[in-house]
Amino acid sequence: MTGSRKYIILFLIYKNLQLKYKHSALGFLWSLLHPFLYLLIFYTIFSHAFPNIQNYPLYVLSGLVFWIYFSGGTSQLCMVFIKNTFLIKSFNIPKTLYPLTELGSELLSFLLGLIPFMVIMYFMGLHITFNLLYLIPVILLFSIFIFAVGIILGALNVFFRDVGILWNTINPALFYLSPIAYPSNMVPEQYKLIVKFNPLYHFLQLIRNVLYEGTAPSLHYMINCLAITLVASLIALLIYRKIRNGFISNL
Amino acid sequence: MESVIKLQNVSVSYLQNRKGIHSIKDFVLKASFIAPFQKHRVLHHIDLDIQKGDSVGILGPNGSGKSTLLRCIAGIIRPEEGTLQTHVRISPLLALGAGIEMELSGYENMRIALALTGNYSKATRTEMIEKVSDFAELTNEQLRMPTKMYSTGMLARLSFSSVMTGHPELLMIDEVLAVGDKGFQKKCMQRIHQIIENGATLLFVSHSPNEVMEICKRGICLKDGIKIFDGTSAKAAGVYNKLFD
Repeated sequence: MTGSRKYIILFLIYKNLQLKYKHSALGFLWSLLHPFLYLLIFYTIFSHAFPNIQNYPLYVLSGLVFWIYFSGGTSQLCMVFIKNTFLIKSFNIPKTLYPLTELGSELLSFLLGLIPFMVIMYFMGLHITFNLLYLIPVILLFSIFIFAVGIILGALNVFFRDVGILWNTINPALFYLSPIAYPSNMVPEQYKLIVKFNPLYHFLQLIRNVLYEGTAPSLHYMINCLAITLVASLIALLIYRKIRNGFISNL
Repeated sequence: MESVIKLQNVSVSYLQNRKGIHSIKDFVLKASFIAPFQKHRVLHHIDLDIQKGDSVGILGPNGSGKSTLLRCIAGIIRPEEGTLQTHVRISPLLALGAGIEMELSGYENMRIALALTGNYSKATRTEMIEKVSDFAELTNEQLRMPTKMYSTGMLARLSFSSVMTGHPELLMIDEVLAVGDKGFQKKCMQRIHQIIENGATLLFVSHSPNEVMEICKRGICLKDGIKIFDGTSAKAAGVYNKLFD
């Protein structure tokens, strides 16, 4: 059984990637074009607005790439149980395999996309040091966080179909709430609390430590992100355990 | 005889949104924060003992819990009460459109189905795919098309063949035969008989008492989630027919 379990996992990942890019002429290139277009817009519009940020393109791109992973990953996971209705209803395999493989394929395309972007970042002034290895734990932690958020959304979406619509509405708002195109220290003091309440803020700080400043991630944000991920995972576990048995009748 | 499936006092409930709440809007307006879900029981205290090599037809009106019973045995739904023991390799449920990803081609779906039934390995891959396409009588061209372009009958052929070509120990069929054409139905019947002769166990959901009598020795009849009859298939067909008199 373990042998075929491996095939099942590989096939589900393959299926997700196939479905994503199959009927598009540019295929995988789309996932590169998306951040690039945003970068271009932000660079032309905002680089003059924030003249005090050193190396603005690198600042934006490092945040953008991870933001797209987050928004893409959560949106896909939000639909994951609904999309796989027929499989869930007919095969006796753990239901967690569906979101796991979904995230797996998102992670794969994110990592593939990261390669050309690292090259671009290098030309933008990214320092190639051993500190870049910190990206591995950061990406791992971020993926777990995305997974937890995605499970919450995906599980609720089975019962309340507007969760998906709601998430698509919140997503762009969250983008502007997060310090991706602007520096977080620009936010007026009285609104700082709102910014810090946004979990993505902490992850972005962590990512920029490594990709923008070229240092090791700061312990402070590392602990924050660990705590956020832990809480999100617990909530996801609670919700998922409570309602997973109702999936079949509501799909 | 060894018992391969044993259900003792099994009850299954579905979680339902209370008062038809299917969106957050309803959720807020109808103020059901406290208990948004309610349980709806679909199978009541089912006892069932299936021996190795049994062929069991399951009859019953729409909504009587036939598919739920199969899903429960397949391990897709967990019983709320009671115990379920299976001592057989479970293969996927055969239901209409089950396990087919509409955007992918016939070949790709075939490979997924084979992997999911545990019949996929590097050594036997090409051979298995050939066997499945032969049985399904779908052309190379058809198998390359996305399955969303398939007719209902073609879909049934595809999913039926993917499961039937392996050597299932337990075959669960949920009304897929009805949509194939006469030729394919006949072929499937033959294959089912062959699989039973090889010692496999069959659970067969159908609305046709004649089909059940033809394939199955044993028949059970469900009504409103309660097992109302368990005996020979001929008698079960009689009970079923009487329900509609």
